[in-house]
Amino acid sequence: MANLHTLAFEIGTEEIPAFDLHSATGQLEKLVPAALDAVRIPHGDVSIYTTPRRLIAIVADVADTTEALEEVFRGPSAKIAFDEAGNPTKAAIGFARGKGVDVADLVRREENGTDYVFATRTVAASDVAELLPSVLRGVIEDISWPKSCRWGATREYFSRPVRWLVAMLDERVIPVEFAGLTAGNLTYGHRFLAPGPHEVKTASDLLSVVEAAHVVTSEAAREAAIRAGVALAERATGARAELPAKTLLEVVNLCEQPTVLVGTFDEEFLRVPEEIIVDAMLMHQRYFPLYNEAGKLTNNFIVVSNGNPECAATITQGNERVVRARLSDAKFFYEEDLKRPLEAYVDRLDEVVFQESLGTMKAKTERTERVVKKLAEAAELPADEAADAVRAAHLAKADLVTNAVVEFTSVQGIMGSYYALASNEHARVAQAIADHYRPRFAGDELPATTVGRLVATADKLDTICGLFAVGQGPTGSSDPFALRRSAIGIVNMLQAGLPVSLVQAVDASLATYQDAGVQFDVAAVREQVLAFFTTRTTVMLRDGGASQDTIDAVLACDVVEPVELARRVSALEAARANEPETFANLATAFARANNLRDSKLGVDVDESMLCEVEQALSCAVAQAEDRARRALAENDYACALTELAALRKPIDEFFEQIMVMDENVAVRENRLRLLNRFVAVFANVADFGKMAKGSK
Amino acid sequence: MSTIGDRLACAACEQPPTFQDVIMNLQRYWGDQGCVVLQPYDNEVGAGTNAPATTLRSLGPDTWRTCYVQGSRRPTDGRYGENPNRTQHYFQFQVLMKPSPDNIQDLYLGSLRAIGVDVDAHDVRFVEDDWESPTLGAWGLGWEVWIDGMEVTQFTYFQQVGGFECAPVPVEIAYGLERLTMFVQGVDSMFDIVWSRGADGVEFTYGDVYLENERQYSTFNFEVADTDFLFQEFNDREAECMRTLEAGLPLPAYDSVLKCCHTFNLLDARGVISATERMAYILRVRTLAKAVCASYMKHVVGIEVEDDTPASATAEGKEAARG
Repeated sequence: MANLHTLAFEIGTEEIPAFDLHSATGQLEKLVPAALDAVRIPHGDVSIYTTPRRLIAIVADVADTTEALEEVFRGPSAKIAFDEAGNPTKAAIGFARGKGVDVADLVRREENGTDYVFATRTVAASDVAELLPSVLRGVIEDISWPKSCRWGATREYFSRPVRWLVAMLDERVIPVEFAGLTAGNLTYGHRFLAPGPHEVKTASDLLSVVEAAHVVTSEAAREAAIRAGVALAERATGARAELPAKTLLEVVNLCEQPTVLVGTFDEEFLRVPEEIIVDAMLMHQRYFPLYNEAGKLTNNFIVVSNGNPECAATITQGNERVVRARLSDAKFFYEEDLKRPLEAYVDRLDEVVFQESLGTMKAKTERTERVVKKLAEAAELPADEAADAVRAAHLAKADLVTNAVVEFTSVQGIMGSYYALASNEHARVAQAIADHYRPRFAGDELPATTVGRLVATADKLDTICGLFAVGQGPTGSSDPFALRRSAIGIVNMLQAGLPVSLVQAVDASLATYQDAGVQFDVAAVREQVLAFFTTRTTVMLRDGGASQDTIDAVLACDVVEPVELARRVSALEAARANEPETFANLATAFARANNLRDSKLGVDVDESMLCEVEQALSCAVAQAEDRARRALAENDYACALTELAALRKPIDEFFEQIMVMDENVAVRENRLRLLNRFVAVFANVADFGKMAKGSK
Repeated sequence: MSTIGDRLACAACEQPPTFQDVIMNLQRYWGDQGCVVLQPYDNEVGAGTNAPATTLRSLGPDTWRTCYVQGSRRPTDGRYGENPNRTQHYFQFQVLMKPSPDNIQDLYLGSLRAIGVDVDAHDVRFVEDDWESPTLGAWGLGWEVWIDGMEVTQFTYFQQVGGFECAPVPVEIAYGLERLTMFVQGVDSMFDIVWSRGADGVEFTYGDVYLENERQYSTFNFEVADTDFLFQEFNDREAECMRTLEAGLPLPAYDSVLKCCHTFNLLDARGVISATERMAYILRVRTLAKAVCASYMKHVVGIEVEDDTPASATAEGKEAARG
């Protein structure tokens, strides 16, 4: 019976970036067991612990040796394996080599009446301790990092320099080698509180040695400690902290032993828009803001320190100084910006490049204004709203050159709206400026007003059309201008009732680029942009549960407006769901008719030649044609579908009782004309052939 | 006494170290680690990294260790001396060690102790901050170092310079001397930094030394510098750089690269480089910088490189030239 041991492995590093560390933690949970399994080392549970300065794997119940293994492989038949003289052929030699055995060791055995050669490969039991150095080195090398570096005179890569290795199988040191290091039994603690080195007596002690050296060894434990500290701070201040997931993860992975501290800044800074303060604290300093019951920012903030808890007062004071300097800057910038009206910044947008071939943000602003004006007219917005929309488009980007936004980029739009209000712009204009970047991510709120949505649509569409015009549309996973997200945003706004035609808007936008002298093939780009929107809409519809064949059926009728596409798809989906049998039969019949039809013959049916069943179909077709046309004219797609559904019975009977391909040419052609007419009724509603079984 | 500058460089006095104490202590400390204590490079540079002792000496296999103070100019950062944290001229303390020593983080922490920062009583953190200089074709991975949330140092393992792989890898440590001294002295404006203190108690502040400088240079950079002259200078320096490279002299050619950079920065501060022209200028500088590095590899390191003449610079240069 083999003895079981604990394996402890630690990669000691310089500080690994927070998000990369998080990813590596997840990778190791798979890499370590996979590496052990690959060489058949029997083992128990694998636990991964990570901090910015170490990656630890603890493996329970590791056996002394791998099990011996006997594998039998069947090779070619004996006839092929040996020549007439009984000597092994090339086939036999190749087989033996492939399996790593000597050709002399191949054995013949009968299987199902045929003689085959068989190779038996024996893998001897190996000493696990001997296997581990290369297995563990492999683990180090197999972690993938978004960015990795070399250091010193070594050639190896890692996220940041590796400075020590611990590898132990119970008391035994496993001499893993990497980048000039050899693993031992010495680990290091918190950089300042217990640097070490600390000796590890046996593998199962590693965690406790590290923990005793002021290191909280897992992301989960550090997060729990931070949350507990934050809860205490909230109780002490009577305020509520905001912990955005991204910043929290970063903070969790920026310390080995977190201590939550509360700092304060001068209340006078609260006169600065709170978005800047929050940006300065969260983005730049990784502090958490504290809000009062009314949701207003307070002048307290939370710092997570990695320092000695006994020095909390000094550390808090230091951080308060940093906040003071940052907020002084922010206040200075804000007050400087306010000295001029927002309008005054528009011209300076000439200094900001939008895209190399498409000119500056000033040019973008001018184009967007024009498109907004056009769309507002087409939508017959009330004059005041139309004027506000154009004004908002004019001012939307102006804050990009203000000091505050140059310094604190995440507050773009928001600062513009503050400055707009301070410059006595209409509240609706200010709101639209703040909102026009929305929706910024999936599930984000849309701009609050029609004015805001109009500006947001024109602005996003300008980016999409421009980049397609210069051949910079998204490809594969590369979408640096987030055009897909922008398109989805536009579709969502249209769906929410923005009275804008996408086709008109695209034409208007492309026209502004033509007028600006950008060289491109207008017809081709128009088609690409519309196809791009159709694809986005299709993906959205599928995500919403619509089936692909329904979407295809509607798309076949050249529907380009996303709203129309969505409406038709959902009506057709509903109709199919209500009367599954009707629509399934109709689709089959349609496909059949569509296959038979001969468009050369036209649709002029000679009524006098029709028998009763044909007559019934002809009447039904005439009626459906008329009603479906009227329903579509009234935008009642569901009604149009109901009319088509009424064709099911007559077409089914037609196919049941009538032989289309009659010997008499006149009869046959008249029947084909009738089918042509039947198919034509569908032309503007949906291509039912796409929904026929087996068509997809 | 301030709780910030807890331990003093000079045990005899009760006051925190002066600006020049900080500099001298850093020089002494890194000198003791085997660094060549250089004097500031006598050409305008935007940062200590741009001095040839870092940029060019990062290339090639030879061991190199240096430290130096570098006055650095960033004309667009000028605030007429009115902003307590931002100036168009400031000082960096630059350390470069190739290959990077294994205990470099500890050496760095030792340097903080040497200037009176008790790192055990503060929260010192290494926060991811990678470095990339498109104009130099250079990048590296590293951190910004925070003390109680204040960024005081950039710490970078250079991976590539001038498009060439760095092997062995140099480590660069760039201290913001004003930030660091403000922290050590516990002052909120860089102009209040005590630069020197005589035995008789006479003090000079950073403001005494540099405030007038900031006012005059801010005015010059933003309002007065002759743009026609600068455009011409850029073109002339570009041509001179290429001519010097043809003579196989990368070191003096690099001076012309630095001149081009500074001229470009001044033009930028004067607001006469449009957004669309910027890229073209940056590209011209990059072409020169890479050519100089290639020439350095060939003539100084002794490694044959594909091409060390900036042929493409001429064409691009003409296209983007003006003035």
